[in-house]
Amino acid sequence: MARDLAIDLGTANTLVYMKGRGIVLNEPSVIAVNRQSGEVLATGHDALNMIGRTPSYIAAVRPLRGGAITDFDITERMIRLLLQRVGVSRFTRPKVVICVPSAITEVERRAVTDATRRAGASDAQLIEQPMAAAIGANLPIDEPVGNMVIDIGGGTSETAVISLGGVVELDAVRVGSFDIDVSIQNYVRREHGVAIGEITASEIKVQIGSAEPGPEDRDADIRGRDLVTGLPKTVRLTAEEVRFAIDEPVQAIIDSVKRCLSKAPPELAQDFLARGMYLVGGGGMLRGLAKRIARETDVPVRMSPQPLEAVVLGAGHCIENYQALRGMFMGVRR
Amino acid sequence: MIAVEFLTAIFTVLAVISGSALLVLVWLDNRRVRIDDGIANFRRHIDALSPEARRNSVHAGYASDQSEKRRN
Repeated sequence: MARDLAIDLGTANTLVYMKGRGIVLNEPSVIAVNRQSGEVLATGHDALNMIGRTPSYIAAVRPLRGGAITDFDITERMIRLLLQRVGVSRFTRPKVVICVPSAITEVERRAVTDATRRAGASDAQLIEQPMAAAIGANLPIDEPVGNMVIDIGGGTSETAVISLGGVVELDAVRVGSFDIDVSIQNYVRREHGVAIGEITASEIKVQIGSAEPGPEDRDADIRGRDLVTGLPKTVRLTAEEVRFAIDEPVQAIIDSVKRCLSKAPPELAQDFLARGMYLVGGGGMLRGLAKRIARETDVPVRMSPQPLEAVVLGAGHCIENYQALRGMFMGVRR
Repeated sequence: MIAVEFLTAIFTVLAVISGSALLVLVWLDNRRVRIDDGIANFRRHIDALSPEARRNSVHAGYASDQSEKRRN
């Protein structure tokens, strides 16, 4: 008998929760395939290490962008491999709950459910990421009070107001931490004439990236390829430069939070001032982001204790209480 | 002969009336059950989201994730 699963199929990372066991898999959403034979060569961490370093016959790709499937076949194979790795066989077909951004279209939703069913699930249901995040972050969403959750993922950022077990208001933008990486890449290319890869840009963001000035501001040496000479080159980047480089995507995320706040009913809005907003998702870990959102909105911002796992834990709770919570699934809701 | 036909007609009318009454009762009962179901379903939904209900899944998930991290 297959154990039912919850999957956080994120642009950056994929996490799998198994009913009765908890989180059983957590790895990057990357797959490496042989372009000629179509064979899968690696997934997860192994495939991530191949990005930008592969010979021409190997493609190491992220099959999801902005929370949506960009390559249906590769996504299906990635899900099939994930299910196999957690013990799903041809004869044991589990029910699967998948977390998806609320901003995805009907066609994109169908692509995710079809890919999951074809990969071996007996039933595939979708749940909105902010709702799952609020459950996983242990917010009191069963009470008639306003809970606000900001989920900043790799490809999307979503802000939701939740009360009495349902989404009251929601705002989503297809901007996430990958857009922050791209902004760093573009800045270094434009201002220093050096090309850097997406892994290097992500490392810069983690090491010296910030949304607000702070005592931890420091410089870093980065290595890339000089666009004029074509030779390797090292340049020094300051924290202020990185802050300037990433300001556009950061501001887009904050504007989305403000839009959601302005749409919230007044009765719930006063709850936010007392209870604050909760940040989840890897993008929320950007240094100074919570402080900047709090400064620009005048609402306190708190970090969830497990920002990376909150979404899958929330979906996992839905799979544990499948019958009672099936009204939360997208498409089932009336 | 006429008496038999008369009795058959009476029983047929009685059967139709009782059948209809039964159908109305069943319909009313179902309607009541559906209203009760809505309340019960909503209660179940909210109860399943209470901190007590989440204690096992969300907290167990955190615990399992921590042990996974320790192993790595």
